[in-house]
Amino acid sequence: MAIQKSVLNDSKQVERAVSLIQLGARLQVLESETELSYERLLRLYKEVAGRSPSKGQLPFSTEWFLTWQPNIHASLFQNTYEYLTKVSAMEDIDAIMAAYRLYTEQIEACGVEPLLSITRAWRLVKFIDNNMLSMTKCSKCGGHFVSEAYENSRHFECGLCSPPARAGKGASSGGILLH
Amino acid sequence: MTNEQILSEIREANMTYLMLAQNLIRQNKAEALFRLGMSEESAEIIAALSPAQVMRIASTNMLLCRFRVDDDIVWNLLTNHSVTKVDNDATTKLHASILMAGRFAEAV
Repeated sequence: MAIQKSVLNDSKQVERAVSLIQLGARLQVLESETELSYERLLRLYKEVAGRSPSKGQLPFSTEWFLTWQPNIHASLFQNTYEYLTKVSAMEDIDAIMAAYRLYTEQIEACGVEPLLSITRAWRLVKFIDNNMLSMTKCSKCGGHFVSEAYENSRHFECGLCSPPARAGKGASSGGILLH
Repeated sequence: MTNEQILSEIREANMTYLMLAQNLIRQNKAEALFRLGMSEESAEIIAALSPAQVMRIASTNMLLCRFRVDDDIVWNLLTNHSVTKVDNDATTKLHASILMAGRFAEAV
C-alpha cells in the first residue's frame, strides 16, 4: 500500500531544503536529509541558488578536522551543536542548521573567516555519530575539542593551549593568528 | 548615586533583560536557550510573562541576570591576561567561546 502523501510534510521538506541551499549545502546533504526526489531537489537548487549544484564527491576524510585551524572551527561548531541538542528536542538537521548559523555569527564576531562549510559541519556530526571522530576534554583548559576517536584524555591538549610549532605563521588575513 | 537611583537603574536593567529574553525566546527558542544560557523550563516561564508581570518582577533590589563566566580560565581569556601561549585578541576570544559553549553543554 502506498503511503499517503502529506502536503504539510511536503512543504516542511521543501522549506528545510531551501534553508539548506541558502546555507550553501551540497546536493548530497539535501538528498540525505529530505524526502524530496533528486529531480525536485535539482530544480529547487537552481531556483534558490540561481546556478547548478557543484558536482563531484563530498569531502570524505576525517583528517581535515584534525588539522590545526579547521579543528578550532569544528570544535566551536560541535560544542554549539551539542548544546542545542541537549537543551531542546529539535531534529538533528535543524539543530545542525541552527548551530551553523550561531557558529558563523560567533566566528565573524572574532574577525575570522568561517572555514567550516555547512556540508563539512554535517559530515562532522555524522563522523562523531559513527565514532570516527570524538570530542575530548583538553587537560589544560577543560574545553571539548574534536579529536581522534580514541584519544587519551589524560594527556590531551587542545590546539589553542598547545599550538603546533608552525601554527598561525602562514595564515593569510581572516585566519586564526597567534600574535 | 542615591539609593533611589540604584533601585531605578536595577529595575531598568531587569526590564531590558526580560524583554530581550522574551523577544529572543519567541523568535527562535533553541537559539535563545544558547544565547541566554538558561534551561528550557525557565525560558518557557519567561516567554509566558505578561507585561504587567514583567514590570512587577523587574521591580526588586536584585539583578535578575547573573554573570555567565565564573571560572578563571574563561575570565583570563576574555580579559586577555595571557595564561596561554596565544597572544591575539581574536584567537583568545575564540578560545573563550569554545569553552563557554562547552560549559553550558555540561551544565544542562
